[in-house]
Amino acid sequence: MIRFENVTKIYDPNIVGLQDVNVHIERGDFAFLVGHSGSGKSTFIRLLLKEFEPSRGSITVAGRNLQRMRRGALPHHRRGIGCVFQDFKLLPNRTVAENVAYALRVTGQPARTIRRKVPEILQLVGLGEKMSNLPDELSAGEQQRVSVARAFVNHPSLLVADEPTGNLDPDTSVGIMQLLYRINRTGTTVLMATHDREMVDKMRKRVIALEGGKVIRDEDKGLYR
Amino acid sequence: MRFRFFLGEALDSLTRNWVMSVAAIVTVLVSMFVLGIGAFVFFNLQNATSGIRNKLEIEVFIKNTASQDQVNQLGDQIKGMPEVKSMDFVSKDEALQRLRDSMKGHEDVLAALSGNPLPASYEIFLKDTNQTSLVASRFYNNQAVDNSPVADSADNPITLAGDLSDGATNMTVTAGGGAQFTKDMYFHIDNEVMRITDNPNGDTMSIARAQAGTKAEAHTKGTDIYSENGVKTGGDTTERVNAVANYTLIGGSGFVILLAVASVLLISNTIRLSIFARRREVEIMRLVGATNWFIRWPFVMEGVFTGLLGATAAVILVIVVQNSIIDVISSQLSFLGAEAVPTGWLLLSIIGGGILLGSVGSALALRRFLKI
Repeated sequence: MIRFENVTKIYDPNIVGLQDVNVHIERGDFAFLVGHSGSGKSTFIRLLLKEFEPSRGSITVAGRNLQRMRRGALPHHRRGIGCVFQDFKLLPNRTVAENVAYALRVTGQPARTIRRKVPEILQLVGLGEKMSNLPDELSAGEQQRVSVARAFVNHPSLLVADEPTGNLDPDTSVGIMQLLYRINRTGTTVLMATHDREMVDKMRKRVIALEGGKVIRDEDKGLYR
Repeated sequence: MRFRFFLGEALDSLTRNWVMSVAAIVTVLVSMFVLGIGAFVFFNLQNATSGIRNKLEIEVFIKNTASQDQVNQLGDQIKGMPEVKSMDFVSKDEALQRLRDSMKGHEDVLAALSGNPLPASYEIFLKDTNQTSLVASRFYNNQAVDNSPVADSADNPITLAGDLSDGATNMTVTAGGGAQFTKDMYFHIDNEVMRITDNPNGDTMSIARAQAGTKAEAHTKGTDIYSENGVKTGGDTTERVNAVANYTLIGGSGFVILLAVASVLLISNTIRLSIFARRREVEIMRLVGATNWFIRWPFVMEGVFTGLLGATAAVILVIVVQNSIIDVISSQLSFLGAEAVPTGWLLLSIIGGGILLGSVGSALALRRFLKI
C-alpha cells in the first residue's frame, strides 16, 4: 500500500526532515508512526499526500509512483486517502452533517449520494443524533469523530491520522482508537502518527519509530518504548 | 448543482467581506462609467463628422450684387460638372428662415438684426468627397461668388519669375504694392486657378501649376489674387471635429486604462482577503481531493460578480447621465443634436469590460495567493 524507498527530505536551509527512509506497509495493515516532535512524522505524512516532493528516493502509494504522477492526477490521489488531524480541521460555521457533506460535494458527488452517505457514516461513528449541531457545540472527542467520519465517508483504501488523540483525554482517545480499529477491520490501511505511549502499548500493532528523520525501529506488535 | 455550490460560496465571500467588495465594485463602476461616457462623447463626435460629410460638401455664397443672369449661369455651370451629384439653391429668405429654425427660443437675438445680412448660396453635394477642393477651386474666380479680391493686378503688379513652359511646374511670384500672400489665397492666372502650395513667405511664394507647358509671360496680364471666403467646404469643420474626437479617444482611453488597472488591483486584493478568510475551506478541499478548478471557481466567480455588479451599476448610471445630457442639449442647444449610444453596444462593452476586469483581478490573486 505504501512504499518508501531511500526517501530523504531536506528542507531549506539544510534541515533534515527525513533521511534514507525505507518503509513498506501492506494493504490492510495498521501501523503506528512514533517519535518526538520534529522526528519526521509529519514530513512522512505530508510526503504521502504529495504536499511536496522528496529530495531523493521514491514513494509509491496504492501502486502509483508519486514522483511520476501528473499534476492533474493529484486530486484523484488525495481522494484515495482519508485524513484525520490533531486539530480536526472542521468548518465552524457548518453543521456536522454539512461538514461531512462538504468533502463529498467538493469532489463532485451527486446530491443523492450525499444525502444517503452522510447519515450513514455519522451513525457509524455514533453521532447520528448530532447531525445538525455546529462543531462548537460538540465535545473534542465528538469533533474528532466528525473528522474521522469525513475522512472515511468515501471509503478510502488508506486512512492517515496525524496525532488524532493529541488533544483528547485518555478515555476519549480510546473511543477514537476503537473507531480507527474498526475502520482497519473493514480492510482499510491505517497509518497513525502519535506519541500516545499508552495507546501504542495497548494495541500491540506495528510500530515504526522515527528519530532525527531516520527509522530507528520497525517491529510488528511493537511497543512505544 | 456544482454551479449552485460555486455561486453560494462566491456570494458568501462577497458579503462576508463586504467593505472591500463595495470598494472594488465602486472602482469598477467608476472606470466603466468613464468608459461609457467617453463612448457617448466619441460616438456623438463621430456622428457629427459623418453628419457634416453627408450634409454638405461645398457651399458657394453669392454676392448680393450679382445679377440674376450671373446666378443662373453659375447654377448651370455647377450642374454641368461631372463630379457633382446634386445641388440646391438657398435664397436669402430661406437662409434666414433656417437660422430662425435653429435658434428657436432665442428670437430676441435675431430681432436685433436689421434686414437680411445672409447671402444666397448654392449647396453642392459631390459623388466623391475627395474631389471637394478641386471643385471648390473653380468658384474662386467666379464673378457671382462673394469672393473679395485681395490684390488686383492693376494696383499691385505681380511679377512672375521663371518659365512654366517646357515641363517646368514651379515658379516664383512676387506681389508688388505691399500685398501679402497668405495661405487661404488663390492665385488666378486668366481662367486657371492655382493654389498656393508652398509656405507663403511675405510677398513672394512659389506656385505649382497643374499642367506645365504654357509660357508664363502670356498670362501676366489680368492676374488677380482671390481669397476663398465666398466658398465653404465641409472639410475644415470635419477635420476639426475629427481632431477633437481623436483627443477624446486618446485621453479617454488613457483614463479608462488607469482606472481599469486600479479596479483590477482592488479586485485582486479583495479576492486575496477572501482566500485568506477561506483558507480552512481551501485546505480541506485540497485534502479531500477537490480538483484545482473546483477550488478556484468560487474565487473566480467572486471576481466576476464584483465586475458584473460594478458594470451593471455603471450601465444604469451612464444611461441616466446620457439621457439627461441629451435632454439639456435638445432644450438649450438644439442645433447641436446629441444621440444616445445604442444600448446594445453600451451593455456589451461595459458589461464585457466589467467581467474582464473581474476575471483578470481574480486570476491575479489566484496566481499569487492560492497555492494548490
